[in-house]
Amino acid sequence: MISSETFHVVTTELVVGSFSVAGLSFTFCTLIYLGLLKRPSWSPIFDHVAHFTLAFGLAATPFAILSGLSSAPGEGLNSPILVNKMFLSMTGFGFALGCLLARWRLGGKVWSTTKSTALHGASGLAACGAMLLTASAGGTFARGESLLDLFHLPYEHVLLFPVMVSAIALLLGITMLVISWKRMNASSTVH
Amino acid sequence: MLLLSLLLLCSAFGAAEPGGNGDSIQNMQCGGACHGDASINETSGALLSLSSPATIYVGIPTTLTLTADNLDTSATRLVGLFLLTDMTGHSDTPQDAGWEILSDANGGAMNYIEQTLDPGQKEINISWVLRASTLGSTTFYAAIHHGGGDSSPFFGTTVSGFEVTVQPVPENLPRLAADFTPPTLRTLDASTELVIETQFTDSMQFEWKSEDGLIMNAIVNSTGDNSWTATIPAALQPTTVQWRVLLIGEGPEQTTPWFTLAAEEGSWEVTENAVYLQAFALLFMTAGIVLALQTRFSSDSSLAKYDETPPVIENIALGKSPVDLAENHGGGQA
Repeated sequence: MISSETFHVVTTELVVGSFSVAGLSFTFCTLIYLGLLKRPSWSPIFDHVAHFTLAFGLAATPFAILSGLSSAPGEGLNSPILVNKMFLSMTGFGFALGCLLARWRLGGKVWSTTKSTALHGASGLAACGAMLLTASAGGTFARGESLLDLFHLPYEHVLLFPVMVSAIALLLGITMLVISWKRMNASSTVH
Repeated sequence: MLLLSLLLLCSAFGAAEPGGNGDSIQNMQCGGACHGDASINETSGALLSLSSPATIYVGIPTTLTLTADNLDTSATRLVGLFLLTDMTGHSDTPQDAGWEILSDANGGAMNYIEQTLDPGQKEINISWVLRASTLGSTTFYAAIHHGGGDSSPFFGTTVSGFEVTVQPVPENLPRLAADFTPPTLRTLDASTELVIETQFTDSMQFEWKSEDGLIMNAIVNSTGDNSWTATIPAALQPTTVQWRVLLIGEGPEQTTPWFTLAAEEGSWEVTENAVYLQAFALLFMTAGIVLALQTRFSSDSSLAKYDETPPVIENIALGKSPVDLAENHGGGQA
C-alpha cells in the first residue's frame, strides 16, 4: 500500500521526466527541419523519441492530476497555486494531445513546411513548458520554493473566467477538434 | 497503464496516512482507521493520563489536560490524541456527553488533534477547554494513534476512565457569559480585538502568552455592563497565542482556562466547478487550435503539389495556350 502523496511523487516524476525528454527532442527536431542544425540523419530518431515520450507523459498525466488532488492537504482546491497547477497541466495536456493527434493522422507531413514545422515544434515545446511550470508550481506549493522562482511567476494569482466564457470556450474547442479531425480524415482519404 | 491504474486504486483505497489526517471531531475508531482496527493495529507503549481542576461548574469553561509519556513514534514523529467519553467507538465524543469543546491545543475546537514531537521528545502535555451543559459526573478517556518503526499502526488508551463531577455554580460567581464562545482562529498581520461578555463581574484583567511562555497583560476596556474588550497584537507568522482573564466581582475571584488562538493566513476559496470547466476548456481549446492550424498548414502543403499556377504562368509567358498545356500534361491531373 502506498499513500496518495507517494503515488503523486511517482507519477509526477514520470510526467516531468517524459516531457523533459520530449522537449529536448522537439527542440532538435525543429532545428533540424528548419535547417538550423545540419544533421538530417538525426531527424527520424528525435521525431520518434519526441512523440513517444510525449505520449508516455500524456498517459501518466491524468494519474498525476488525480493523485495530486487526493494528496493535497485540506478539502478541494484551497490554494491559488493548486488552481494554477490544474490550469497549466490541462493546457499542457491539450497541447500534447493536439501535437500527437496531428502527428498520428498527418504523419511526417507535420514537418513538411516551415510553417508546419514551426507550429508542430512550438506545440510540443508548449506542452513541455506547461508541464514543467506545473511541476515548478508544485515545488512552490510543497516546499515554498522552486527553481523557476527567479522569474517571480505569479502563482498566487488566478485568472478565472466567468462560467459562460469557459462553457463557450469548451464548446468552441470541441468543435474545432471535431472539424479538424474530419478535415484530417478527408485529407487522408484523398491522398 | 495497467500498473499505474493498479497503483492508483491502491492509493485510493488503502491509503496509509503517515502525514496524519488533520484535526477533527473523531470517535475512538477514527472513522475506521487502521489504528482502530484490532486485527491490524499494535498496542502503543504510551502512558496516558488525564487531569482537571478540582472543581468544575456547569456552564463555566474548564481545562482537561492530557499527559502522554513514553512516546515512541515513526520517523514523522506525529501523534494523534483523542479526548473521549467512552470506549465504544461510536457516540463517544465529549459533545455526545453534553460537553462543548471551546478550544484545543492547536487552536481549533476538536476532540482529535495531531502534534509533531521534537526529536527525542518522549512526553507531551496538551489541554482542551470544555464547558459542561449539565450537572452530574462524566468519565473521560484519552486515546492515541501513532506510527512505529515497522510501519504498524499503533493504538493506545488510558488505563482507566477519569471521572469529573460537575457542580452547580455558586451565587454571584464572576464568570464568562454562558453563551460566550472564544474565537480559535485569527488572520495574520492583524491585531485581534476580543469582545468578552461576562456575568457578575466588576473588573477584569487580561493575560496572554505566546509560544515562548512569557505572560503579558493587555489593557481591558469596558464597553458596557459585563462587556469588555482587549486587544492581542498581530501575529506575523502562523503561530498560536493563549489568553485568559481574571474575573473580579462580589463572589470569589475566578481565572478562566487558557484559551488558544491560532493565527493563520486568510482562507482562500474558489468555485471548483468553474475551475474544472475552465481547465477542460483550456484542454480542448489548445488541442483544437493546434489541430486546426496543423491541418490548415498541412493542407496547404499537400495542395501545393496540385497547384498549377506556377507552370501556367511560366507557359503563358512562353506564349503557349491552355490547350498546349493540357496536351503536355496529358489532360490534367484532376
